[in-house]
Amino acid sequence: MIDWGWLAGHLDAIAYRTAQHVYLAALGVAIGFAISFVLALVAARHRALYPPISALAGILYTIPSLALFAALISITGFSVVTAEVPLVMYTLVILVRNIVAGLDGVPGEVLEAADGMGHTRRQRLWRVELPLAVPLIVAGLRLATVSTIGLVTITGTISDAFGGLGYFILDGYHRGNFLTEMYAGALPSILLALGADLLFVRAQRRVTPWAHARALEATS
Amino acid sequence: MPEQAARRAAIVEYEHVSKSYATAKLPRGAPGAVNDLSLTVPAGKICVLVGPSGCGKTTSLKMVNRLIEPTSGRILIDGADVAGRDATELRREIGYVIQQVGLFPHQTIGANVAVVPRLLGWPAARQRARAEELLSLVGLDPALYRDRYPAQLSGGERQRVGVARALAADPPLMLMDEPFGAVDPIVRERLQNEFLRLQAELAKTILFVTHDIDEAIKLGDLVAVMQVGGHLEQFAPPAQILAAPASEFVADFVGADRGLKRLSLTRVGEVALQPVVTARIGDSAGEARARTFADPFPYLLLLDPSGRPIGWVNQRHIPGTGTLAPSLATPMSPLLDRRTTLKDALSMMLDADVQTGIVVDRTGRLRGVLTVEAIAAALRPSADPDGIAGGTSGAGA
Repeated sequence: MIDWGWLAGHLDAIAYRTAQHVYLAALGVAIGFAISFVLALVAARHRALYPPISALAGILYTIPSLALFAALISITGFSVVTAEVPLVMYTLVILVRNIVAGLDGVPGEVLEAADGMGHTRRQRLWRVELPLAVPLIVAGLRLATVSTIGLVTITGTISDAFGGLGYFILDGYHRGNFLTEMYAGALPSILLALGADLLFVRAQRRVTPWAHARALEATS
Repeated sequence: MPEQAARRAAIVEYEHVSKSYATAKLPRGAPGAVNDLSLTVPAGKICVLVGPSGCGKTTSLKMVNRLIEPTSGRILIDGADVAGRDATELRREIGYVIQQVGLFPHQTIGANVAVVPRLLGWPAARQRARAEELLSLVGLDPALYRDRYPAQLSGGERQRVGVARALAADPPLMLMDEPFGAVDPIVRERLQNEFLRLQAELAKTILFVTHDIDEAIKLGDLVAVMQVGGHLEQFAPPAQILAAPASEFVADFVGADRGLKRLSLTRVGEVALQPVVTARIGDSAGEARARTFADPFPYLLLLDPSGRPIGWVNQRHIPGTGTLAPSLATPMSPLLDRRTTLKDALSMMLDADVQTGIVVDRTGRLRGVLTVEAIAAALRPSADPDGIAGGTSGAGA
């Protein structure tokens, strides 16, 4: 049964851990996106570099997080860096591949028209290719964000100072499966993931009205 | 746009232009090679490059705006070598239309039309005004289309937007790569006619690529027939290509029906019309009867009081006394005007099962009659093809 008394006494702690959870996840996705964006542009410009970049991101993704925490603690200590490095690393494979796929998905005739009208390479990238890649980029961000929100919970294994809502899950477990505390960690974490996903869907609808424009009355 | 700028048109010269590819690794549909192409497109004319796939027509086109660089030779626009120009700057001065249009799906129609003005840094208000002006020009109501996205338009509408976009910065030269190839035949016909109407107004220099010889003949002031391997087989006005193909390849390419094709190049106004005996309603029947019997043609053409044809009256049915009544006239020959093509005229005459078409002016008044014999005479090989072609350019049906 739920221990309502415990919940009432820990509202402040739950709020604090929720905020920490959002912070750790947002930082990881933001840094991951910045790195992925640069890598994807390099890969899109120099196609030969795409296979190695993609392979490297894939290999990083296979490293178990717990092993990585253990290895990093000896280098970066019990710092936020130790928590963020794995979070960032795991976003790369999703984000790089989605950004590259988005750029690849721009129709050839659109690129030809852009070139033929006198866009420089940079103008073509920023005015034509990236805007058209937005739906796939956002799809990557949704996936990366949801998985990062899930991963933040295990940063609690580094120390009690991290973990976001995952702290409650670990702490409840150590207390001999104290379910109320474990739910207090798990449920808000799930809601965060759902909320973030919904936020991205909304934002995308707003920035890509063209993707939802359907034929109204098509007459020649 | 100042009037003078709108009249600008460029001269394009190919000087021994070649483009070769390493043949081993060419995929199907890859650009064709070009072999020593030399030709000059005069200012304000439509030059159609036509030939089978792999003849290098698209390659020739794309070398003008440097989407493809020639292996050797020079291309001059108004005397200046394009190789000496900055490629992006050059392209902003040349209108470019492609078969798949290539509108930007993420931008509204208004923004799509204003792409080049935006690249050129025009003020936003001027971009908007120009986009609306051009949408109207190509027959799309700006209020209705400006804020839509390309996905909301039909193929024909998209193609019009593509033409409007290419015209945005009022370029002296337009490159059009099979611009009407992806729409159905009825829409294509309409777009072609609109294009000719537009060109009659704008008088741009236009390089136009197609694989369709009928389109080439219909649209071109000059037609360059190219053969696989990038050889120019013939460069001449369409009437001359039909009347005197320079090689067996050209003769085959224009088809065994090239005599019929010439019919669609010539308009009624270019053929000598025959006079005919006429009389108006209320005229003396006896006098009209006498005149009709004096003429070898056994019919009288009855006109209304303002000179518009009503119908034929067989000479034997003209009463000897009284006046002419409308009820005497029997069903009409088709009414033609001076801009009807001989092909359409002949078709209408065959449909009506008559040997004679009545040619009227814009107000419906009689100009004369066109006979099947006159059509045949106009197409006789001895007839000067340039003479026939005289007025065909730029006149939309």
